Amino acid sequence: VVVLPLRLPSAPVPLSKALRAVVPPDPRRSGTDPDYRFTLANERTFLAWIRTALALSAAGLAAIHLLPDFTGRDPLGVSLLALSVLVAVAAYRRWALAEAAMRRQEPLPASRLPAVIAVGTAAAGVAASILFVVEQVR
Amino acid sequence: VFDPGLQQERTSLAWERTAVALMVAGVLLARYAAQDAHPAIAALGVAQTMVGAAVLVWAGVHYDGLHGLLRTGGDVTHPTATRLVGAATVAFTSVALVLAVLVSLTG
Repeated sequence: VVVLPLRLPSAPVPLSKALRAVVPPDPRRSGTDPDYRFTLANERTFLAWIRTALALSAAGLAAIHLLPDFTGRDPLGVSLLALSVLVAVAAYRRWALAEAAMRRQEPLPASRLPAVIAVGTAAAGVAASILFVVEQVR
Repeated sequence: VFDPGLQQERTSLAWERTAVALMVAGVLLARYAAQDAHPAIAALGVAQTMVGAAVLVWAGVHYDGLHGLLRTGGDVTHPTATRLVGAATVAFTSVALVLAVLVSLTG
């Protein structure tokens, strides 16, 4: 069972604070410039997540449009697109948190994102293929 | 060569791949939205393609100048480009999700 990193607040959270949790502050405000190779590697990792988000959304749009007769079309397309929104939102957050940690010479923050994406994409793919076979056999 | 690992070149290519992916995704959204008769969403797809093209041109031009920053030990982060691409991708994926929900609701 995948547990999302979600803690429900007891009191209403101000909008600015909620926004800060998703969009961390400019990492250049703390620490000192790390080795430029780390900075550039962090940037490439961010770009790889962005391409993952774009690929997931392209797959979701394609599922909606190329499988008009498939029973599982809507759940498959919508779940792939929901995953893509999640990855897109998390990409900048991860970049900023990793950059800030490198600047302060701290360990990189742990993240459940890779596990969530792997499990989510695999579940969507397996569910769709089983449904597809069942539909063909009938 | 100053940069023996070609870090700057690999990063430049990563930006360019991402820009091309943005453009492809924008064209896909524009085409599908136009087929589903959602012209406003199709226009957003065209805008997304333009953002991708702008990032592609920026990446190509900017990385020629990055060697200077590496020599002087300057800051090599690109917070503005990172935020722009991050925000554009959040916007794109959200609009694509809205389109998919609209299509699934209307059949």
